[in-house]
Amino acid sequence: MDFLSALQIAGSGLSAQRTRVNVAASNLANAESTRGPNGEPYHRRDPVLAAVAFEASLADASQVPLGPAEPGAASTATAVQVTGIQEDKTPGKRVYLPGHPDADANGFVTFPNVNPVNETVNLITAQRGYDANATAVETLKAMAQRALDIAR
Amino acid sequence: MKSLSVNSVEFPSSTPAVEKPEGSGASGFGQELEAAVKKVDDLQVAADVETQKLANGDGNLHETMLALEKADIAMRLAMKVRTKLVEAYNDVMRMTV
Repeated sequence: MDFLSALQIAGSGLSAQRTRVNVAASNLANAESTRGPNGEPYHRRDPVLAAVAFEASLADASQVPLGPAEPGAASTATAVQVTGIQEDKTPGKRVYLPGHPDADANGFVTFPNVNPVNETVNLITAQRGYDANATAVETLKAMAQRALDIAR
Repeated sequence: MKSLSVNSVEFPSSTPAVEKPEGSGASGFGQELEAAVKKVDDLQVAADVETQKLANGDGNLHETMLALEKADIAMRLAMKVRTKLVEAYNDVMRMTV
């Protein structure tokens, strides 16, 4: 695997983590949205991350046997991809607010099923994930620089 | 534990014969050099495109940075190769006969 495809894979990780931050921000922003485009209260969303095969091989072309794994198991590098954003359909809390414009016939308003604390934790883990991928990029950069310094 | 096969380093007995591409009159080295320079240039162009996309507001930050980084690494490598080539040329030219 050369440096450029490794950079590409780290970049896919950065993109995925940024999507997680976007989704968490959307959930936080809509923590009190009692009305969406379809008339229902907002439902919190979750990104679905999937490992997708990358064209490069994980090891170098020098045919390093990859431990005792069965053939073809983990020999190809895999990037990450956001395959979808899923709505969490658990019902939100219902609050008695008869004066609220979105109250039902009994005076109850359904609020989104967003827990700001959970979303904040998601935000933190996504940021840490982004940091980790950025560190991988930096390491790759340093390695490439080091390799170039051999020929000085 | 699975034993890793360890191979000794084999030196080619002589310089491998460079196959000259048939038809075209250009030498293999010239073509290789051109292809390498083209690859470096492609990465520079890709970095330019990404930067422009970012400036237009529809790029994304880290992809732009990665494109710039790739272009940078490729350019540095090209510079090193050039320096080495020129050094070798100068060494040969300075050789006292």
